Parts: sequence; C-alpha cells; structure tokens
Amino acid sequence: MSLKIIETCVNCFACEPLCPSKAIYEAKPHFLIDSKKCTECEGDFAVPQCATICPIEGAILDALGVALNPPGSLTGIPPEKMAEAMAELQAH
Amino acid sequence: MELPVLNEKPASQGGCSAGSCGSTDDQLNHLSDEIKAKVQNHPCYSEDAHHYFARMHVAVAPACNIQCHYCNRKYDCANESRPGVVSELLTPDQAVKKTMAVAANIPQMTVLGIAGPGDPLANPERTFETFRRLSKEAPDIKLCVSTNGLSLPESVEELAKHNIDHVTITINCVDPEIGAKIYPWIFWENRRIKGKKAAKILIEQQQKGLEMLVAKGILVKVNSVMIPGVNDKHLAEVSRIVKAKGAFLHNVMPLIAEAEHGTFYGVMGQRGPTGAELQALQDDCSGDMNMMRHCRQCRADAVGMLGEDRGDEFTMDKIELMDIDYEAAMEKRKVIHQAIEAEMNSKRAQKSEFAEQIAQEPKLTTRPVLMAVATSGQGVINVHFGHAKEFLIYEASPDGVRFISHRKADLYCGGDSTCGDGESVLQTTIRSLEGCEAVLCSKVGFEPWEMLENAGIMPNGEHAMEPIEEAVMSVYKEMAKNGKLDEIILHNRATA
Ligand code: SF4
Ligand code: SF4
Ligand code: SF4
Repeated sequence: MSLKIIETCVNCFACEPLCPSKAIYEAKPHFLIDSKKCTECEGDFAVPQCATICPIEGAILDALGVALNPPGSLTGIPPEKMAEAMAELQAH
Repeated sequence: MELPVLNEKPASQGGCSAGSCGSTDDQLNHLSDEIKAKVQNHPCYSEDAHHYFARMHVAVAPACNIQCHYCNRKYDCANESRPGVVSELLTPDQAVKKTMAVAANIPQMTVLGIAGPGDPLANPERTFETFRRLSKEAPDIKLCVSTNGLSLPESVEELAKHNIDHVTITINCVDPEIGAKIYPWIFWENRRIKGKKAAKILIEQQQKGLEMLVAKGILVKVNSVMIPGVNDKHLAEVSRIVKAKGAFLHNVMPLIAEAEHGTFYGVMGQRGPTGAELQALQDDCSGDMNMMRHCRQCRADAVGMLGEDRGDEFTMDKIELMDIDYEAAMEKRKVIHQAIEAEMNSKRAQKSEFAEQIAQEPKLTTRPVLMAVATSGQGVINVHFGHAKEFLIYEASPDGVRFISHRKADLYCGGDSTCGDGESVLQTTIRSLEGCEAVLCSKVGFEPWEMLENAGIMPNGEHAMEPIEEAVMSVYKEMAKNGKLDEIILHNRATA
C-alpha cells in the first residue's frame, strides 16, 4: 500500500519532513514517494500526513489512483466555476 | 529608481511641510526612542530612508501550513508578493552567499528578509539555518521575517536568538466568523482543520505570537489584506487590538484578485478595493494606529531599493563566480552608511525649515485636496504621466503637505494594452487616480490631458524637477487663489 505524488505537485516541500516513514524524496521534475517505504502512515497517524498538508488538489493519489484531495476540496472553488473561469480566460 | 550618488548635491532646497514628507516621520514621533532608532533607517518602515537604504528578500521557505483565499500555491506567498509571481527557491547556503554578495556590492542594502515563497516559520530548519549563519557571518545586516502566524508562538524563542528585530504578521481578522471566509483550512497537529474552528486556532496563534514577540522586545509590524465585503469593516478593530498589544505599525494592503491567478477570490469574482476605498480605510485606522503608507507589496525575492528590482545582477550562477571578502566589505559599508545618514539628516533639517516657513505664512482656511505625483524618487517630480507605473498621493491642506499613499497605475490591469471590458491602460490609470483633483508630472501628453480634465483631475506639468512638497503646496495655493477650493468636491467622476 502506498500513495503516489503526480506531476501536478508544485515542489513546495511541505510533505517531505512530515513523513514518518521517510518515504518522500525530492526529485525532478517533482517530489516522489518510495512505494516500498510508504506505510500510508498506518500506526503513526490517523490520516496520511502528506495528503493532509499538500495544498494542491489532485497531486497525491491513493493506491487505486484516486485523488485524496479531489477538485474543490481544498480551495473551495466549485469545479464547474473553475472550468467556467478557465474557459473564459481561454476565449480571450 | 536609481541608487543615490553619495556626493551628489541634495535636490535644491528640498523641503517638506510639517516635517511630514513621509507621514512616517509623524508616525514615529510617539514611539519610544529605542523603537524610533530601530525604525529610522529601515527601508520598509521609514518613508525617507527607503530612498537611501535598500532591503532584499530571499526565497528559502517553500512550504506553507495554511491556505488563504487570495493565494494560489502554484505561486509565491500572496501575503508577500503580488499574486502570480514565482521566485527561484534557494537553499540556505545559496541564500547566505547571495545576501553577502549583494551586501558587498550594494552597500545601501541593510535589511534581509525571508518572506516566502511559503511561510518562513512553516520551514523552520531552512529559515533558521539562514538566520543563524547571517547573524554570525554578516552581523551588520538586520534580519526580518514575515509569517501568517500559525507557527509563531513556538518560534519566538529561536527568533530572539538571532539578529532579528522585525517580524511581520499578516492578520486579516480577529473574528473566526470572518476568518472562515478568508482561510479555508490550516494544518494543525497532524490534521487538516477547516472552517471556523481553523480560523479560531489561527487567530489565537497570531495573537499569542504577537504578545510573545512584544514581550521579548522584538518589533512587530502587522499587515492586513483589505477584502471588500469580507473584512473591510472589521480592520479598524484589528488595528485597535494589534496596537493595544504593541504592534508598532499596521499596514493595510489591497486585495488583488484576478481569475487568471486561479485563487478562490479571483475565480469567484471577489473584487479588490478601489484606491479611494483603501485610502478611506487607511485614514480610518490611522486615527489610532501607525499606518505604513509607502509599502508597495514588494516581491518576496526582490533585490534593491523598495519598488525596484536588481535581481538580474545577482542570479545564482553569477554569485558563484564572485569572491567576497566580507570583512573588507563591512568596513566600506560602515563608511557609506555614515555618509548616507549625514545626508538624510541634512534633508530632514531642510524639511523642518520649510515647515516652519509655512507655519509663519498667513494660514489659509480652504479645504484639503488630494494630488497625485509622478516621481522616480529623490523627492522631485520627474516622471512623464504616460510612463508612471505608480503615483504618490499627497494631501495639501492649510496645515501643509502630507504623504498619503502609493497607488499603482496598473493595479487593476494585467499590463496588456487593454484591461477587463476593453478598458485602455490610460483609462485604468486615470481610474487609479480617483479622488485626486490634480496630477503633477514632468510632462503630460495631449490625449491624457483631455481625459484627465474630463475626469475632473487637473493635469500639471509646470513643476518638473521641483521638490514634491513645494510643488504641491504651490499648486494648492494657486487653486486657493483661483477660488477652486470653494467649489464642492466633484469626486468619483473618473471614467469607470
Ligand atoms: S502516506 Fe504517510 S508514509 Fe506514505 S508517503 Fe505519505 S506521509 Fe509518508
Ligand atoms: S505537499 Fe504536495 S505539492 Fe508540496 S511537495 Fe508534497 S506533493 Fe508536492
Ligand atoms: S500564508 Fe502565504 S503562502 Fe500560505 S496560503 Fe497564505 S498567502 Fe499563500
């Protein structure tokens, strides 16, 4: 069982020092989780620490590939509002 | 703005009325001598010192422990820089090298700040490593740090060990109801906490941190972001409370929210305050609080004088090639600092002379007027209207001339040739001058001249290269003579 950091990670370093298993490491182009080391924080914390501090929606996935912080869950921006705003900007 | 040439003659009879060129001079008058001494030559806090001394920020602290609705974490901390800026992250070692290289090459650089790209205190190792080394290796540089306050109480002990005498806390509210509309979540004791509960913890930590710093004798400045309809009515109370607890300055900054920044406020269409609204609030707060009106929301990794950026001269690859003898540099810096102080003191003396002169003249009984001035520094009017990126706003009244604030010409504009609904740059600029009745520049073109007049703002290019306060006073006296000041004020006619 392991979480995964994907390319939307902005390399903010917030998760790395929190990991109880030292599974997170700086890499190019973005931080990565060593799947052999990650314990999903079981036994250490009630919730996976990396996904609990990560500010970027969708940057961390669970073992099934599902985002732990889905769109709108952190920023509070309803996904349809975001899509609308982005479409508007593109139209310019 | 150019760095001052040290043996250059001071601008001819430069003067300020009421000893209040930077209203900061006034603001300082009620502070204790100890605090005054600390603030006097600080480029961020002293209105005249920032023409002479410089500060820089290094970006060593990437992580953050909260979310603000005006910030998108793909970019730098929006408390410290304009939204949408990405700075180059430095290691503590690189930051120390860069700071010493800049200090050796720009002796005017006296203050080093860590302000991002996240929250410095959410990155204690990187931040304190930088401070620890600089306190030892470059003891003539003052250190400052900005924070959202969440981790402040646990950091005070460590902060007090270094050369740190300025801490800036961004405090947007003291009421969790309001806080819940500004902060969607915080990371606290290994959990993500949301809503009012999160805001309550953050507010408690900020206030506790403020009290602890004051108790340690560390200067605290408070920044607030003015968010119309959210905390605008509330900030006067914030001002009162932070002052009562001992903050020495309170600085209200406008919210900048654009959809393209991808922030909550930007996407949801929350607007920022107009220049006039911002000023009204600043006036409201200044009744019982020091306001820092010359802050330009500097960039977190900026190098140079406030409002200027010389970062390109000090990129990491250039710094690696420099060989710095800091002991020698420190000697040189000391001599130059003394020369600057002497020049600053002589200008300050000239200012009070001019103020006395005004005081002796028969007093007018006319109403106060706001005027905008285009300048690139040195205390004179020297910028063409069309080239002005920002204006200094002064208030002229029978009591003299008082510096009020900076206004960005492009505050509402992304910098393209058109803004929003097809508004031209010129229209945006004129809109930013809302509330002013005259604008003093070195020159004004034909097209803007007409538009300014139509907006009820009198263009004036007659005082090029003259000291600002004297020019503003002379325009004011002329307005009084021509009976302009008996008219009812016709504000807000700026093209909307
Ligand atoms: S889930 Fe826990 S153990 Fe796994 S990488 Fe994240 S912090 Fe480390
Ligand atoms: S907290 Fe999220 S964005 Fe930051 S480094 Fe970790 S995965 Fe990347
Ligand atoms: S504290 Fe700064 S970096 Fe953190 S969310 Fe707020 S504005 Fe952004």
